Amino acid sequence: MMMGVLVGIASLAVLSSLGEATKRETMQRFKNMLGTSDAIIVRPGGGRTRGMPTLVNVPPTLTFEDANAIATELPEIKAVAEVQNAFDIDVKYRERSTSPAIFGVSPRWLALRSEVVADGVFFTAGQNDSLARVAVLGLDVSKQMFPGEEALGKTIRIADVPFEVIGLLKSRGAGPAGASLDNVVLIPIGTASRRLFHRDFLTMLIAQVRNPERNNEATAAVAALLRRRHHIQPQALDDFAITNPAATMGHVTRAGSTLAKILTGVSIMALLIGGVVIMSLMSIAVSERRKEIGVRRSVGAARRDVVLQFLFEAVIVSVAGGMEGVVVGWSGLQAVTRWQRLPPILIWQPFAVAIVLSLAIGIVFGLYPAWRASRVDPIEALRS
Amino acid sequence: MIELEGISKMYARGEHGVVQALQSVSFCIAAGEFVVVRGASGSGKSTLLNILGCLDLPTAGCYRLDGEDVAGYSDSQLARVRNAKVGFIFQSFNLLPRTTALENVEIPMVYSQGTVDRRRALAALDRVGLVGRASHFSSELSGGEQQRVAVARALINNPALILADEPTGNLDLAAGSEVMGLLTNLYQEGRTILLVTHDDAVAAYASREMCLCDGIVVSDRARVANLGGGAP
Repeated sequence: MMMGVLVGIASLAVLSSLGEATKRETMQRFKNMLGTSDAIIVRPGGGRTRGMPTLVNVPPTLTFEDANAIATELPEIKAVAEVQNAFDIDVKYRERSTSPAIFGVSPRWLALRSEVVADGVFFTAGQNDSLARVAVLGLDVSKQMFPGEEALGKTIRIADVPFEVIGLLKSRGAGPAGASLDNVVLIPIGTASRRLFHRDFLTMLIAQVRNPERNNEATAAVAALLRRRHHIQPQALDDFAITNPAATMGHVTRAGSTLAKILTGVSIMALLIGGVVIMSLMSIAVSERRKEIGVRRSVGAARRDVVLQFLFEAVIVSVAGGMEGVVVGWSGLQAVTRWQRLPPILIWQPFAVAIVLSLAIGIVFGLYPAWRASRVDPIEALRS
Repeated sequence: MIELEGISKMYARGEHGVVQALQSVSFCIAAGEFVVVRGASGSGKSTLLNILGCLDLPTAGCYRLDGEDVAGYSDSQLARVRNAKVGFIFQSFNLLPRTTALENVEIPMVYSQGTVDRRRALAALDRVGLVGRASHFSSELSGGEQQRVAVARALINNPALILADEPTGNLDLAAGSEVMGLLTNLYQEGRTILLVTHDDAVAAYASREMCLCDGIVVSDRARVANLGGGAP
């Protein structure tokens, strides 16, 4: 008799937990990539490049001067970090070699993120200006190149240019696409553009907004500035693409919500069916227990006492179903998170809501049988 | 103690109009009396019992129980009167199934004080000689034992009036006289008992005998109670 409530509660709890967890995980992944969720990303080439932009697949339209202008002319922007990156570049240390992503980043990159250097130091503005050949390794790279060895102070060769390892990054986990963000080598962007890549345009710039509440306004301001600097006519399309993680997260949440709505509808149906089953079984119980009702009335139970008794019983049944639903839902949730490789979910609110909901169902659907119980004529019930 | 003045009860019966179950019944019962009410079936005995027990309200007349005029009482007020002042004993015992003897005795306390006083319930069971059966389910008890549990339940809230409806009707002779012995003891202690029966042997225990016929009290006389028990 508790099955309907059990199924309904279990699926509702799982759904809302999963929805909440997916939202949190998506935000976390953006945060992993950007260090903050209050930053916007600008890429060259009107959003037509697919996948991760690199020096070989972007047009040379986004410049160091653009970055400088965004940082100095727009009050909405707190800081800007320029990025030049490339893949498939060999990194060697003695006989070991690997091909991580090479990121030339501005020293301000550190200011955009908090606590990223686990060991050693990050490069300074001075090192960037003097084109110092220093590198900070991601966790995957340092593990691969220096298994069980001290990496700091060693010299690695990036495309045959020697770099000294001065720092090790903290693990950042997975990015929005699910790939590891630790398979990277960071070098000063000055060094990258003049000594390694020999390119004077950017693949990406990260702009941290001053007020995260006004992300959209900041995005518009950056777009307007770039259009002006790039002399783009009003009817022409942008030659750059801006990603606003806050807005993207909104899309992710909305995409999930259609499915969530359907499933929520199904679980509400299950709950209603559970409620109706409780109602009919309680009604049967009332007719089977007419004699008990008569006895209770004869020894001093008022109608109100009878109502409360049967209501209480309905609530007990319903909440018991709800609790089992929570247990089933919780186990289901653990299975799903393992399967989806989400981090363990510790969200109790949906389960609390589920218990309250089953309580409400017990009351709503127990009310009619309880009222009928109170209308049993004790004289007639005792005569039989 | 108990005063009835012009009590009438009418039932609507389909197209045949009304049935007059009681017609202007008036009598008084003093504290400590053991009254037996007799009469053929349909004479109004049960209706009288239900009104005396506050399960039903009269159509007309005044009923005063232990100084309280129950006319116009609400459902919960009547429930309180039943709980505090009336103890019912039924022909078919009416214990709750799947419930122990002790728990059955405790039920009236639930409605009077919200909590149960286990010691008092055990004392009541001791009174009817069944303290050893306290934890037995009602289905595990014999008919006589069930009726004694019912007597204990009727006594638990120390009522002003004990109402018994054919209490021996479903019992064999031995068990029946045991129950009647219990009621006699209660009478000797000064409790007020009203018993409905058409069994002469049972009527012999009472101190006053009333006969009903067609909703009218046709005779009401004192008699010498047979305190020794058994048929006269």
